[in-house]
This record gives sequence, C-alpha cells and structure tokens, in this order.
Amino acid sequence: MFETSISHNNVPVLRIDGKIIGGAANALKREMDKQIEQGKGGLVLDMAKVPLLDSSALGIIIATLQFLKKMNAKLVLLNPQHTVLDVLQVTRLNTILEVYSDEESATSAFGS
Amino acid sequence: MSETILAVDDDIDILELIQMSLDAEGFDVITANDGMSGLEKARAHSPDLILLDLMMPVMDGFEVIGKLKADEQTRAIPVIMLTARAQTHERVQGLHAGADDYVTKPFDLDELTARIEAVLGRTLPTKYINPLISTMGDWFTEEGVEQLASHLEAAAMIQQNLIPKKAPNLPGFDIAGFLRSSMTVSGDFYDFIPLDNNRLGIAIADVRGKGIPAALLMVMIRTTLRLICREETSPAAVLKRINDLLAIDTDPDLFATMVYAILDSAANTFTYSSAGHCYPLHLKNGGTEVDELKEGGMLLGIFEHAAFELETIPLAPGDEILLYTDGVTETERQVDETFYGEERLAALLQSNSDQPAETFCQTIETALFDFSGTDHRDDDVTIVVIKATNGKE
Repeated sequence: MFETSISHNNVPVLRIDGKIIGGAANALKREMDKQIEQGKGGLVLDMAKVPLLDSSALGIIIATLQFLKKMNAKLVLLNPQHTVLDVLQVTRLNTILEVYSDEESATSAFGS
Repeated sequence: MSETILAVDDDIDILELIQMSLDAEGFDVITANDGMSGLEKARAHSPDLILLDLMMPVMDGFEVIGKLKADEQTRAIPVIMLTARAQTHERVQGLHAGADDYVTKPFDLDELTARIEAVLGRTLPTKYINPLISTMGDWFTEEGVEQLASHLEAAAMIQQNLIPKKAPNLPGFDIAGFLRSSMTVSGDFYDFIPLDNNRLGIAIADVRGKGIPAALLMVMIRTTLRLICREETSPAAVLKRINDLLAIDTDPDLFATMVYAILDSAANTFTYSSAGHCYPLHLKNGGTEVDELKEGGMLLGIFEHAAFELETIPLAPGDEILLYTDGVTETERQVDETFYGEERLAALLQSNSDQPAETFCQTIETALFDFSGTDHRDDDVTIVVIKATNGKE
C-alpha cells in the first residue's frame, strides 16, 4: 500500500495505493512518522492512486500537517483524484494544504 | 484478501508439501525451519495462523507456543500443532499451553485444510476483540468488562436523551430529525433550540471517529452550542466560538463538521453557516431545482482563528432544506463498493417532495438500506428535514 522514493532534491515522496479508510489511516500514520523521522523538511503524499479517504485519514493528515508546521516543515499533496479533492473542498482543507499536479513542482515547493 | 499461514517444521520436505498444497488452496504461506526463526517470522508478519511442529531441535514447539502466548503481539494468533500419531501426551500438553488444534503426521491435506478453515473461522471474533484487550490492559477481567459495558450503556442513555425526542412546532414549517447510530454511543448529533417565538436554532454535527471519544466531543460541542446560541445572533459567530474552544482544548486529529442555522418563521428565511460539513441541499422553485448550500468555513477544532461566512436563503412555500451527515452519502453498496452519493440523495429529495418531513426521513433510511444491501452500518446516519409549508399542510 505504501512506497517511498526520495526526490532529487532530497524530499521523501510517499506513494499511497488504495483507499485510506478504517485501519488504513493508522498504517498511514506509522508510515508518515517513519518518513518524518528519517527525512528532513517534510513529506510529499502522492495521492494519485487513492480513490477515497475517510475522516480518520483526514484526522491523521491534519495532525501530521500541524506537527510539521511546528517544526517549520511541510506536508504537500500530489495528484489527488477528484473524489479526494471534493472532500478537501467541502472540509475547506484545500485552504491549508498545498496541492500539486506534478512531482517536480511538489518537491520544489520545499525550496532547498 | 487471502489469509497468511506460517508453517514451522524442521523437516524441509514437509514444509514444501504444506507450502504447495496451501498455496493451491489460496493461502499465503510463509515457512520457517526452526523454532527461533518461526518466532521471529510470527512477530514480523503477524500471520493469521501458525502450523507448528512440536518435535524440533534447539527450541521445540512447546517453547515456541509459550513465547507466542507471552507476547502481546502474537498472543492471539491461533496455533495448530503438527504431531506424530503416538504423541498423545504431547498433544494434551500442547493444547494446555494454548494451541487451538492438532493434526497428526502423516496428515491428509484435505484434513489439514479443513482444520485450518475451522480454526480461522472460530478465532475470527478473537481477532476483533484482541485490540480491545490490549487497550484495556488490566481492566480485562470479567468484572472489568461488565463494568465497562454498564458504563457504556449509561453513556448511551445519556446521549440518547440529548437528542430531541420530537420535532419542534414552528408555524409554517414541518420539521423532523433522525439519527441512527452505528455503535452504542455516537459521534453524530442534531439539535433544535427555540430562540424566540419565531426563530429556531437548528444544528447537525458529525464528530470524527466513533465510540466514546467521539461521544465525549459531541457532548462538549452540544453543551457549548446550547450555552452560547442565545448570546450570538449569527450562525457564523456561533461556529467561530465553538471552533476556538475546541481548537485550544483538543488534539489536532480530533475534529468535527457541523452546520448551524437559524430558521426564521416570520421572515421565512434560513440563515446558515457550515464548518466543513457535507453541503445541505435546498429544494426550490416548486421542486424543480436542488441547490448545494456551501457557505461557511473550516472543520471545527483545527485552527484557533478560523473564519466562518454565512448565507441567508429565502424560503418559499414548497421549499425544503435537507441536512445530513456523511453516513448518508457514504453508505456503500456492497456489490461494487459504490457510495450512495449526493446526486442520488438530491434525486430522492426531488421525487418525494410531497412527503411530510418525518416520512421523508424514513424514506431516506429505507433507500439507504435498499442501496447498501445490508443492515450493517459503518457510520452513524443523521438527517434533518425542514419543509416550508406556510400554512398549506
């Protein structure tokens, strides 16, 4: 369900495959914590293969976003599907989450 | 999803045989050829079942069972012993140590599969109960469970009493609410609060998560709402105050979505603000059009200084407002995992505009039941229907 690569400017990109509902949210949290511990400056979540997420997943993403903000780091989303974008729009999370449609801009959002 | 079986035996030929035959039955098979690596693989892979040879050099099967049962992480994994026909004494000893069943070598493959199926079926409840046990720790005694259950029941009673028992009487309007909880206690709620002779406060909310933590937050929100709704004249200001309170007091992954509205029967208006909640639907123009009501702001409880907008909708006779939680639109059809969705809900609203509010709540519940193909609910379902009758009943 998770696969991580490191972009050329050293930002971890976490690719998620599948719905993030129920217990999958906790698995996502563990995976993000692991990447944050190892990485520096933040994390890109590649959502291209996520058809759906529930409120637990939103909670985990918000908590991680807030945590990273405090550390002066970032969490950005890459390529969310329209179903996920709808959820972000209804909840207004689109106003606090940076969303990108290609990996180059997503990772360069981190500066150097 | 296929189940994972860990086979532990020092006889490589037997391992290979088990691997081949269980593979063919559709199981994922992991193997280990001594007790120590068996234990390691059990911890690393959390298999659904372990097949364990009793007679192995260095660490025998009994020692492996002992260590599996002593470790919280592996305690619940069922174990089937592989024993020789003569080892009656060892079999009993193994069952005492916590094994679930045994198969005697040389074994018949059909028998092995049948035993596996039986044990997996039998232990399924344990799989769900186990996380609860680890959360409860020392509380997991018979008295502890009983006490917890009675507290839970009392909590559910308190909560049910917080939900309005009957719809309020507001001249010119037909109003009804409906809540069906997926668990004993719920994270959803709705509320009707008479503000004066003409104005009624209407709230619907969905707290993230389920069970007791969600219920506690729900009570906190409802209490705050009741305390402040008469002090504030605007729904946006009400949401802002609830938000600021929650944002200070709760963890960032605890949040809620909510709509708060004031229905004014003198002005025939519906003034609302939404905090990240599913868009309320407005049936208008003699039932020919359905609008989404999108004004508002962020989810409650995340940002301390979030801003909320409001909107006032004029209501003509025949207009309807439908408020609901995502348990409605995210009701899943079992066969193809499709959501019920807003479009179906809007169509249902349009085609049943002649029904009284309370009947329409039931119509939605029935439609969700028919759609999902099951009575089982993953999420709470909450609905509030407001119909402008303006004298024509």
